[in-house]
Amino acid sequence: MKHDKHPTLRARVSSRTLQAAVSWKAFGNLLESRGLLTILLMGALAWSLSAIDWGGPLAHAGGGASALQFFSALLSLDLSPSFLQVALKASWYTVAYAVAGITLAVALGLPLGIIASGALARSRKVRWPVVFGTRAFLAFVRSIHELVWAWLFVAAIGLSPMAAILALAIPYGGILGRIYSEILNDVPEGPLRSLRASGASEWKVFLYGRLVMALPDMLSYTFYRFECAIRAAAIMSFVGIAGLGYQIQLSLDDLLYGQVWTLLFFLVALVLMVDIWSGLVRRRMVP
Amino acid sequence: MSMETNPMGAPGRTVSTRGVPIARHRIGVAGLSLIAFALLAAASWGFILLGGDSGFQELFSHETWANAGSFIGELAGKGSGERAAFLQPGKWAHAGKLAYETLAMSVLAIGFAGVGALLTFLPAARNVAVGELAPARRGLPTWKALYFVVRIIFTFTRGIPELILAMIIIFFLSPGILPGALALGLHNYGILGKLSAEVVENLDTHPARALRASGAGSFQMLAYAIMPQVLPQFITYLLYRWEVVIRTTIVVGFVSAGGLGRDFRLSMSFFHYTDVALLLIWYILLVIGIDLLCAWLRRLVRT
Repeated sequence: MKHDKHPTLRARVSSRTLQAAVSWKAFGNLLESRGLLTILLMGALAWSLSAIDWGGPLAHAGGGASALQFFSALLSLDLSPSFLQVALKASWYTVAYAVAGITLAVALGLPLGIIASGALARSRKVRWPVVFGTRAFLAFVRSIHELVWAWLFVAAIGLSPMAAILALAIPYGGILGRIYSEILNDVPEGPLRSLRASGASEWKVFLYGRLVMALPDMLSYTFYRFECAIRAAAIMSFVGIAGLGYQIQLSLDDLLYGQVWTLLFFLVALVLMVDIWSGLVRRRMVP
Repeated sequence: MSMETNPMGAPGRTVSTRGVPIARHRIGVAGLSLIAFALLAAASWGFILLGGDSGFQELFSHETWANAGSFIGELAGKGSGERAAFLQPGKWAHAGKLAYETLAMSVLAIGFAGVGALLTFLPAARNVAVGELAPARRGLPTWKALYFVVRIIFTFTRGIPELILAMIIIFFLSPGILPGALALGLHNYGILGKLSAEVVENLDTHPARALRASGAGSFQMLAYAIMPQVLPQFITYLLYRWEVVIRTTIVVGFVSAGGLGRDFRLSMSFFHYTDVALLLIWYILLVIGIDLLCAWLRRLVRT
């Protein structure tokens, strides 16, 4: 840019009101910028660090020693046949609860997701309250962690595998319902219009158009959630449900760190297998 | 005969080059997976329902629902002689302080995870460690080794749930915010690390290669060609994970004794159900608040 040839003009521009306007605009820009984001993230981290009680002892008196014991147990895994059998059985419990939970979650999430997508609502008057109500319900059930649900269920209906499965299925149903509704809404409109033009009813448009186009994405997300369900089923042990988490807790209580590591390897292997499987499905379904 | 996939993209159907459609009833990975999953589901439900003591029959008994009803009543403060906890301002303030601690724990956790992932995601990306963006040949074996080590750490920390990590960490560290944040941070470190390594693997490598061709060093390539593409996506993932972390903080607090989780556990054990209700109210407020905040922050990333 050339040098300023109009110092008088410049002086006029920097009058007080304009200056204020400019700084307000800068403030507005700041509110919409990545710079603000950086400042916020850094500030949040600094604040959270300050919330730790740095004055007290951070570790137990024997914390260092037991940490050393724990990590050195990595070299003495318990691989005795009898314990491997225990670990295998615990893994099967975890898988069974995860599978049962995710199937029930799909059974809950699919109808709710379809309702929440608003695709089937005929009149606008019905559509808005129904869609909004379903979405609010889905948001509520998924805002509570599955283990909190589990504890509430145990208190309400007693300790049983069904309590854990329901506790897993309810928040997962909420998540699946929300994602299903979003996928159903994101379907391209063109094919639907042509179905309508050829005289298909709204139900048929939904069944043969919307649902068919959304299905690959829906399935692939469900498989991803299945992986999360394995981990969730493992921690249901906290309320007393059998599985890998329960065995880990028992071994930790007995300070048998070698067993803990073996069980951790089983859990990681399980998650990894499901991860590879769901990755395979997703690559096939969603190019 | 050479085949090409049907341009309409119908799965499992192929068209010969002569244009004669061939109906192929080939079952792909997806179909097989669905069948396998259906079998697995049947086996699991069969195992649970036939195993006895599943609690399934009880779901349909009058007694169970009466119990559930009275539990909900107790949450709302029915039947107890004392004044409900959520009607006492002092208890609101106390639970609010715990919510504040919980929030700090979640921020600390996602901070640990984010800083850790930012420091280590680069060697975990295949194209950076061993592929087209790999550094000069001299350092290659080191980068290859680093690739496997970091990937194994990601897989391991990602595979173990936060609660189990917390159960282990509480053996070494004194109870409070820190052990819970560490457990949450470790697990999310694995997830964030894997996600950001995948972002690098999928990014457009043209700018990086152009920079290198014009003589830029590794650091310059990283700073001007890789990071500007990766960071927005990284922050988006970070915010998504934060939403998950805030939900999980209460659960980790059960064992690490920090924030809302500690009092939730105590109140449940002492059957102080109106206190439980108050803690749940704060918990849900926190979760919804963070969801809204993250939605706004994600808008900032996109600008």
